[in-house]
Amino acid sequence: MSPTRLCVPGDKLCSVEDCILGTGVYLRHGYIYSSLAGYVLKKNEGEQLPVISVVRETEVQLLPDVGAIVTCKVTSINSRFAKVHILYVGSTPLKDLFRGTIRKEDVRATEKDKVEMHRSFRPGDIVLAKVISLGDVQSNYLLTTAENELGVVVAHSDAARAQMVPISWCEMQCPQTHTKEFRKVARVQPEYLEA
Amino acid sequence: MPTDTKRVRGPEVSQSPSLFDCRPSVVPPSHGARADGRQRDQVDVRPVFVRCGLVSQAKGSAYIEAGDTKLLCSVYGPRETERKDETDMKCGRLTTDMRFAPFSCPERGSWIQGSQDKNFSLMLQESLQPALCLHKYPRSQIEVNVMVLENSGSVQAHAITCASLALADAGIEMYDLVLGCSIRQDGSSYVVDPTYSEESNWSSSEHQGGLTVAFLPSLNQVSGLQSDGEMAEETLTAGIRTCIEGCYKLYPVIQQALVKAVRRAQPPPPES
Amino acid sequence: MATVKVSEAEKVYILHGIRDDLRVDGRSCEDYRHMEVETDVVSNTDGSARVSLGHTAVLVGIKAEIGKPRPLVPDEGYLEFFVDCSANATPEFEGRGGEELGIELSNTLYRVFNNKNSIDLKGLCISAGEHCWVLYVDVLLLQCDGNLYDAISVAIKAALFNTKIPRVHMSSDDEGGKEVELSDDPFDCVRLSVENVPCIVTLCKVGHRHVVDATLQEKACSVASLIIAVTHRGTVTCVKKVGGGSLDPESIFEMTEAGKRVGKALHAPLMKLLQQEESLGKKREKVGFLG
Repeated sequence: MSPTRLCVPGDKLCSVEDCILGTGVYLRHGYIYSSLAGYVLKKNEGEQLPVISVVRETEVQLLPDVGAIVTCKVTSINSRFAKVHILYVGSTPLKDLFRGTIRKEDVRATEKDKVEMHRSFRPGDIVLAKVISLGDVQSNYLLTTAENELGVVVAHSDAARAQMVPISWCEMQCPQTHTKEFRKVARVQPEYLEA
Repeated sequence: MPTDTKRVRGPEVSQSPSLFDCRPSVVPPSHGARADGRQRDQVDVRPVFVRCGLVSQAKGSAYIEAGDTKLLCSVYGPRETERKDETDMKCGRLTTDMRFAPFSCPERGSWIQGSQDKNFSLMLQESLQPALCLHKYPRSQIEVNVMVLENSGSVQAHAITCASLALADAGIEMYDLVLGCSIRQDGSSYVVDPTYSEESNWSSSEHQGGLTVAFLPSLNQVSGLQSDGEMAEETLTAGIRTCIEGCYKLYPVIQQALVKAVRRAQPPPPES
Repeated sequence: MATVKVSEAEKVYILHGIRDDLRVDGRSCEDYRHMEVETDVVSNTDGSARVSLGHTAVLVGIKAEIGKPRPLVPDEGYLEFFVDCSANATPEFEGRGGEELGIELSNTLYRVFNNKNSIDLKGLCISAGEHCWVLYVDVLLLQCDGNLYDAISVAIKAALFNTKIPRVHMSSDDEGGKEVELSDDPFDCVRLSVENVPCIVTLCKVGHRHVVDATLQEKACSVASLIIAVTHRGTVTCVKKVGGGSLDPESIFEMTEAGKRVGKALHAPLMKLLQQEESLGKKREKVGFLG
């Protein structure tokens, strides 16, 4: 018998006075129950009560949530918005296809009225964006790149299909042909680099 | 009547040769031991064999075998929802699809989902939904597909058990497991977890009917209930209690199968 | 199904009212709304009935046709149910929108009538293995204001009571061939015994109590309901949990008991009403759909 406990959904783990709720658990009538089949983990953090959570081998399926940083690929653009496929949430790859939209107003924080979509994104670009809304019935996830750290991270040049290097916040250059193309470039922060 | 244009169909009307069998069909005795040696009027469920994770492509899957009843269930998702007209986008959607293989019953079925199958799917959906934490999956849908490979009675009950096992295997957050159990009331006696012949061959006594219950054992809630035939209200109440007892008998088996699946998928994490 | 949106404040109001056994429209928890039943409303059917319950309106037409008995039960006729959710009731039903609900309702009706006592199926057989009566029960939803099951079941019972099946007899010619002969007299009819036809009672669990005949607003406050088909003797021919929630066993037992009580009480006045209407014959004042 391994020292770590295994549990299935609905198992009563402990009283709410003994632990703080982590992931994979829920609270009912003052007791903490498991909502996943997996291993029970108790983590002590400082002097507080231990955090109890239930973990599985595979990462729990993440869904894009408001405020999450997502990595996506531009599939099409028009003058009003760009359509993207969301590939990663944080550093977790998504298994299924989720579509998102970056509207013209959400491309950058300043001079919103002067944004031109084709000078910001091109189909095929890899973009870092933040989820601002889950969208309503008609629309998909709404994303924004209106922060310095958000925007295009990988783009290929029109002429040589070579990966371009950023030269300013709004331009990228092809290393082979030296042509410049306009993009809403992200200043990639080190903590996002692993994503 | 929808017609299936993709497959070669048999004659418009055909019948199983068993109908022309002149021998009287064997009516199961209404007292004494049952055909498979189980006890009547006792919570004597068939031993079940369950296993998780058989369908490698699916997020989660489960297989259940009880006597000759064999079912396979796979779970996909959460993925982007197909139907956007649903009013509540804050909650996830559970879709269920239960189908019978054409060779699963003594009479050949059709590949097209009949209204009976839709009925089964609906009860499956209503039984599972209370157990799922759907609010954790906004804008997405979770698909549950059940295929009945062999129908030897109590299909609905075992489909519910199998589907909840597959959902747990898929790592979908749930409040509780869902277990299903059926009984067949025949006059004053009853049989638990009836076989196909016990379900279909009725002796001609007055009060008889079938009852299927879906039960959340840890929360002590009934999430699905369906009966037909004719029963007194007291018999019905007693029947529900019997079914709940039957569910508790299944509970340890299902728990063990799930624990085994988790352990097989991954060694225990280091103690921290 | 047609649904309404209810705000949190309205929910609390409805819940507290039900807790004190006083509902928004003044009823107590086990009261029905005003119900109207009228039979023989469509002339082209063999039996028909219109039922309105609050603002829910249901029309049932029954047509009897001669068909072949099912191979498994050669000495019985059978019933076919079809529920049509017309777009008149709510625009959501337009196109195929009402299909799912229609299938759900008709499947439940098959279940409710899936026993030997509700209707004398043997009486519908004309000649074993060859001819039998098939009763097509077509249900039309004209208006939806909650509690469809109960209204439909009452309408079906009334329509079955009203059904007149022409009398037929088998005649055999010299070569042994059999023929179905319809009686010459158009008034020579067989009536069905509807004594054992069950009525459906829907109980909605709202808060810690349950209510009979919930309006759409009350339905929006409830997580799950239980439908119970009860005969006049109090036997139950079908129970089913509908809706996305779950119920604890004790409240199910309470609800079945209440359902039995309410259902039993529903039969006697209904039968009395039907017989009264029947006895009036042609003198009866027709109300029709505008009534």
